[in-house]
Amino acid sequence: MSSVQPVVRVEGLTKDYGPVLALDSLTLDIGEGTTGLVGANGAGKSTLLKILLGLVPATSGRAEVLGHDVEEEGPQVRATVGYLPEHDCLPPDVSASDFVVHLAMMSGLPRLAARERAAEVLRHVGLAEERYRPMGGYSTGMKQKAKLAQALAHDPRLVLLDEPTNGLDPAARDEMLGLVRRIGHDFGIAVIVTSHLLGELERVSDHVVVLDAGRLLRASRTDEFLDATGTLLVEVLGEDAQGRMATALATAGIGVRERGSALSVDLTGSGPDVRDVVRDAASDLGLGLVRMQADHRHLEDVFAEQPSDGRPADHAEEVPRD
Amino acid sequence: MTDPSAATPEGRSVIHDLGYRPYTGPRLGQGAIARSLVGTGLRNAFGLGRSGRSKVLPFALLALNLLPAVIVAGVMVLVGLDSLPIGYAEYASTTQVLVGVFVAAQAPVLFSRDLRHGTIALYLARPLGSGTYALARWVSLLGATLVFLVLPVLVLYGAALLSELDVAEQTRDVAVALGLVVLLALSLAGVAGLVASWSTRRGFAVVATIALLLIANGIVTAVQGIAGAEGRPRIGEVTGLFSPYSLYRGLMSAWTGVEAPTPPASTGMELAYVAVLVGLSAACLGALVLRYRRVATS
Repeated sequence: MSSVQPVVRVEGLTKDYGPVLALDSLTLDIGEGTTGLVGANGAGKSTLLKILLGLVPATSGRAEVLGHDVEEEGPQVRATVGYLPEHDCLPPDVSASDFVVHLAMMSGLPRLAARERAAEVLRHVGLAEERYRPMGGYSTGMKQKAKLAQALAHDPRLVLLDEPTNGLDPAARDEMLGLVRRIGHDFGIAVIVTSHLLGELERVSDHVVVLDAGRLLRASRTDEFLDATGTLLVEVLGEDAQGRMATALATAGIGVRERGSALSVDLTGSGPDVRDVVRDAASDLGLGLVRMQADHRHLEDVFAEQPSDGRPADHAEEVPRD
Repeated sequence: MTDPSAATPEGRSVIHDLGYRPYTGPRLGQGAIARSLVGTGLRNAFGLGRSGRSKVLPFALLALNLLPAVIVAGVMVLVGLDSLPIGYAEYASTTQVLVGVFVAAQAPVLFSRDLRHGTIALYLARPLGSGTYALARWVSLLGATLVFLVLPVLVLYGAALLSELDVAEQTRDVAVALGLVVLLALSLAGVAGLVASWSTRRGFAVVATIALLLIANGIVTAVQGIAGAEGRPRIGEVTGLFSPYSLYRGLMSAWTGVEAPTPPASTGMELAYVAVLVGLSAACLGALVLRYRRVATS
């Protein structure tokens, strides 16, 4: 990623709606792969997407998408970007097939190519026979798939997905997240996806950008958010297994506390490798060692640590320019 | 079997067996996209490419609008009259209610539908700018209105030629009628399009447009009738400026000699009638473009 041009480059971007400062000197680069855009309602996510599409002019600062300045080259940007809006956008009396063909043509594809592309993307998103039925009769999951299909119809280099899992039941949500992942990883299309459910972004994004009141709170790789916490999760089976193991480890001078059905073991102390100690203790006590893994945090834990007064955290200064 | 890892000359592994193929073909410019939007809009205005039910109203109106022309043509050809019983330009004036209902009912198909269902967001996220989108929609409506207005004129013209009426004279009359019909279509498409673009509800747009077109025409006609009867044609002339139909009627009377209440009596007034028709269309079109610019940035 370091050698290629970023997909999105934003410098000092400010959008002042008068009573509301939607974006406040936002500076940020977004690269290939899947990037999650997180923030509460009103954090500036939608405004940022609209500016990136060249629809809303910024008050100051500039934004580039795929090397095109969004204000001066809006049409070029929109020709290579796909957009899935958060709200409903499907006419009920048209079939998904006709609709996607039409919108592919609206992105500049000739009719024949548009037909082929529509059939292909509808297959990829998993709309089979129902593609020939009017979309008014679709379930929410099918509607979201149709919306995704139109965003992909013209083979964009970047797709902006605004809350693609909104209103979906768990099974449909899993399917949609799987699709988002495939777009970013297998289709080779850069993805910017917004969601207010952090667990979802954790599963699909390579990078996470956090906006708060129009400012950048943090931008980094998802795995950096989820750094190992320096503890080991250990789960053992047997009579009073957790208690006996905890006692044994405490005797060996290792910090340990119960965490649900497992033990959280401190890895930071000096001395012999804690993993060896755990293994030996389990063996000595005759317990079945069923799990021993590094304890990762969840995105939610990261946000719980962010300052609540809206000040940008120190991380904001270290926005990776990769 | 070939080695998938050698799928490219550089030997990079790119085959995922997921079947996603990037599109490498041509991408057309904004002109071609706008033409495609106009074409689709024109088809949609007649219910083509939409549900079967949405074809009923436009085609029923079109058939009703054509019926008198077809009957006249049949009579002309069979009986062999030496002149058309109705003038080319007069036809649209006679069927003005049908034209008004057609424009009022089909403008929401092109303008309200995208706003109501939020589809406008998908158009605006594509290369066409909001102004070009508005323009393309308006051209579709204009085209549909012209199809509606021009077809009967052509049927009558065909009948006149088959009856071996004077070709030069008939052609000249048809040309004048077509000019008038274009002026009428421009203003009707402007008014109906603008009303529909402000309403996400189809019913409201239909009622508002019919009210604007037909009720305004009714009032103007009444005033013109009274002004004519009271011997004050000047008032009627000026009143005629306030409705597309009365403007059309006035110009038709002045240019083709068909009788109408208080037509424009001077060349200056004729020019004023043309200027108002063209100005109204331009103003509506400008307002439409502004309207969609606001939609895009909101």
